[in-house]
Amino acid sequence: MRLAIRPERNNSASKPHRLGSMQRLTSPMRHFAPGEEVDYVIVGVGAGGGVLLQRLARAGFRVIGFDAGPFWDTEQDWVSDEAGSHQLYWNDPRLTGGTQPLALGSNNSGKGVGGSTVHWAAFTPRFHPSDFRVYSESGVAADWPFSYEELKPYYELMELELPVSGPAYFPWGHPHGYAFGPHPIGGISDILIRGCTRLGIRSVAGGPVGILQGSRESRPHCIYRGFCIQGCKVGAKASTLITHVPDAIANGAEIRSNSMVARINLGRDRRVTGITYFDQDGRERMQKAKAVVLACYSIETPRLLLNSACPGFEHGLANSSDTVGRYLMSQAGNVVMGYFDDLVRMYKAPPANAMSEEFYETDLRRDFVRGFAIQTVGPLPIAFAKQMMSAKGAWGWGMRRVMMDYNHWGTLGLLGEILPHADNRVQLAEEKDELGIPVAHVTFNLHDNDKKLIEFGKNKVMEVMWAAGATEVAQEARYAHLVGAARMGKDPATSVADRYGRTHDIANLFICDGSVMPTQGSANPGLTIQALAARTGDYLIAQGDRIFNNVKPDMERPQVRHDLSPPATWGHGAPRLK
Amino acid sequence: MSRRIREELAKGHRPRNGNGQKPQPGYYPGFSTLAQQKYWDPKTRKVILDRVHNVPPIRFFTPAEAELMQAICDHVLPQDDRDEAHKIPILPRIDERLYEDRHDGYRFADMPPDPEAYRSGLRAIGVIANHLYGRNFTALTPHEQDLIMKSLHDGKPAAADEIWGHLPIHRFWMMLVQDCVEAYYAHPWAWDEIGFGGPAYPRGYMRLENGSPEPWEVNERRYKWEAPDTSVSDIYEPARSPIEHPSHPRSGGAK
Repeated sequence: MRLAIRPERNNSASKPHRLGSMQRLTSPMRHFAPGEEVDYVIVGVGAGGGVLLQRLARAGFRVIGFDAGPFWDTEQDWVSDEAGSHQLYWNDPRLTGGTQPLALGSNNSGKGVGGSTVHWAAFTPRFHPSDFRVYSESGVAADWPFSYEELKPYYELMELELPVSGPAYFPWGHPHGYAFGPHPIGGISDILIRGCTRLGIRSVAGGPVGILQGSRESRPHCIYRGFCIQGCKVGAKASTLITHVPDAIANGAEIRSNSMVARINLGRDRRVTGITYFDQDGRERMQKAKAVVLACYSIETPRLLLNSACPGFEHGLANSSDTVGRYLMSQAGNVVMGYFDDLVRMYKAPPANAMSEEFYETDLRRDFVRGFAIQTVGPLPIAFAKQMMSAKGAWGWGMRRVMMDYNHWGTLGLLGEILPHADNRVQLAEEKDELGIPVAHVTFNLHDNDKKLIEFGKNKVMEVMWAAGATEVAQEARYAHLVGAARMGKDPATSVADRYGRTHDIANLFICDGSVMPTQGSANPGLTIQALAARTGDYLIAQGDRIFNNVKPDMERPQVRHDLSPPATWGHGAPRLK
Repeated sequence: MSRRIREELAKGHRPRNGNGQKPQPGYYPGFSTLAQQKYWDPKTRKVILDRVHNVPPIRFFTPAEAELMQAICDHVLPQDDRDEAHKIPILPRIDERLYEDRHDGYRFADMPPDPEAYRSGLRAIGVIANHLYGRNFTALTPHEQDLIMKSLHDGKPAAADEIWGHLPIHRFWMMLVQDCVEAYYAHPWAWDEIGFGGPAYPRGYMRLENGSPEPWEVNERRYKWEAPDTSVSDIYEPARSPIEHPSHPRSGGAK
């Protein structure tokens, strides 16, 4: 047994591993012996993997969470600085193409324990009930293999476990209230509220966002410094690194950080036997497990499945449907900037602060289906300069001039639903990374409905900006978040996984991240990924040894386990409308 | 170009139409983020001070490339209004990134790797300079140099088609601008210039609305300034963002 510190820090044995400014990782971490078979290997300790790891460990399973990046010590590793936070992102090479090549890296991909939750803005709206029935209601895309009602208790759990701060009444989708109070508002929220109010559009402020507005247990309140997407050194913003991983370790889970999983190994009877990975020194190693869960998000999960092609699965593991890598989605995230004669100083307060979902649902008066949300965005100087490069074509003295006005600008974001398309996909390129693994080639194209939705949505956000009193408005195209590329569904011919994330082809191989989503709504996906993980956890725990033995899967819906939450989360906070 | 400007240029000064060189341009006179460093956490302070005091040597670019790159950076992110002691190093940061082969975690499928893209792009700019003016880029007047930069911005280069055939010009231009702004706006002197509060942990902010300054921040005092009359960059012509340009892979494509 030894302390859970990053192995390269030999001199830091006396220094505690800090998770936020107050929380310390004090429990010694379990280490499974080389060659020892565990119950579960989870690949990727991010939004989905972090929650599932905690659930399985608490239920007594022997589980290892692998992560390709470091086990962050937030006080030593992170900085309150935009340029200095580059290491938080997935910076390994990837190719991006298509008619709208997606920006990857900092835009949507994390590397290290906590995954992208380390650098998400932590907007945490739920999906709407209609999101689970897009095909039935709008005749496009696909239905989810279960309903909103089935996920709802897990939304309620996660809203307490993160926890989510927000208004006492959230009017859209399935109306609900938040047990933890909303944040004070900043300059950008003023703009959103003012613009929406003048246009008669309902908006909410102060959340829903996974950031503490008051201190709680070992986590301090937000200090409104605005560096959410650079990693919250304060520990006020939820990430699985600080919300679920400490409890997982306290309950006997091992985290194997700086360990890149290269292949999933297939044994006899079409069952996986474990994984092959490169350890922190670049040595190739194997880890045996009775079951494997992939939680590497929408690019690395399909990449790993495709790279695990083997006899019987020549086109990629669990890919008999030819769906692995397909139906990749990103949301339209056009950024709309407005110049105001008065100062805004948008760098203060969390960028995720106010929003409207008034345009979320299909409106038959429009020429497209599904909809969008309007949200606050608060880019720091470098990000804003890059936005001005495209929005205004700024360079040279023009760049210097517009940046001198940085404090006069406010930004709002569109968050628009882009439908799943088979040609938006992740494939393997010829090019290899430094470990010899083929890099991901991502292709992203917009289709007719997407284009109409974006055109309408960005004009609506610009209208809000003008109504707020902007004297100049500019905008740039952007895409936010990633989901899909290993979707779940009822039909094994058109989906990769079943309603619990089990791959149709391999009974002891599961997927537990955003890649299982058949559609994405226009809500930020982080909360839903974590709710799905808690639900998958309840299923795996209820099934027990049946997962490990070659018996026909039982599809019975598990009981919601409120007793598996991290300490002092479930049942806390003021009760609100459900 | 007037004789006055030529004389100024010969002396190493470029006139700023009434605004001379200053240690700190911008509308926040006296504002200093570095003066607040005792309120920063130790790790952040170390990273920022290292950025200010330790400028990396040139290791990726050849001396000739570095000279050309410096001239290019002077136009993509001009600093003629800063005095010599307060110019923010841009070229060394780009060189460091390329030397360390650091990138943003993705590459457009129709682009060569960044180091190759820079070498090709510099070659192309040299070809354009010689095609248009019969001289190297570094020997051109600031106005001529600015015009060539603007032709890259506009995606209408006068020459070097064979290079641009393998290096999509709009992507090269955006990478260049992005690299320059990343270096410039990462520097505390640039934060002082634009009135950005800089690192804010563990102290945080308390005045969140109405653009109010913290007690240690400075309120805005605007003045009129103009770009040098030799420059054509002080205008705005919206460009499409890199993700709006379809990618047509020529090599290294998907299986």
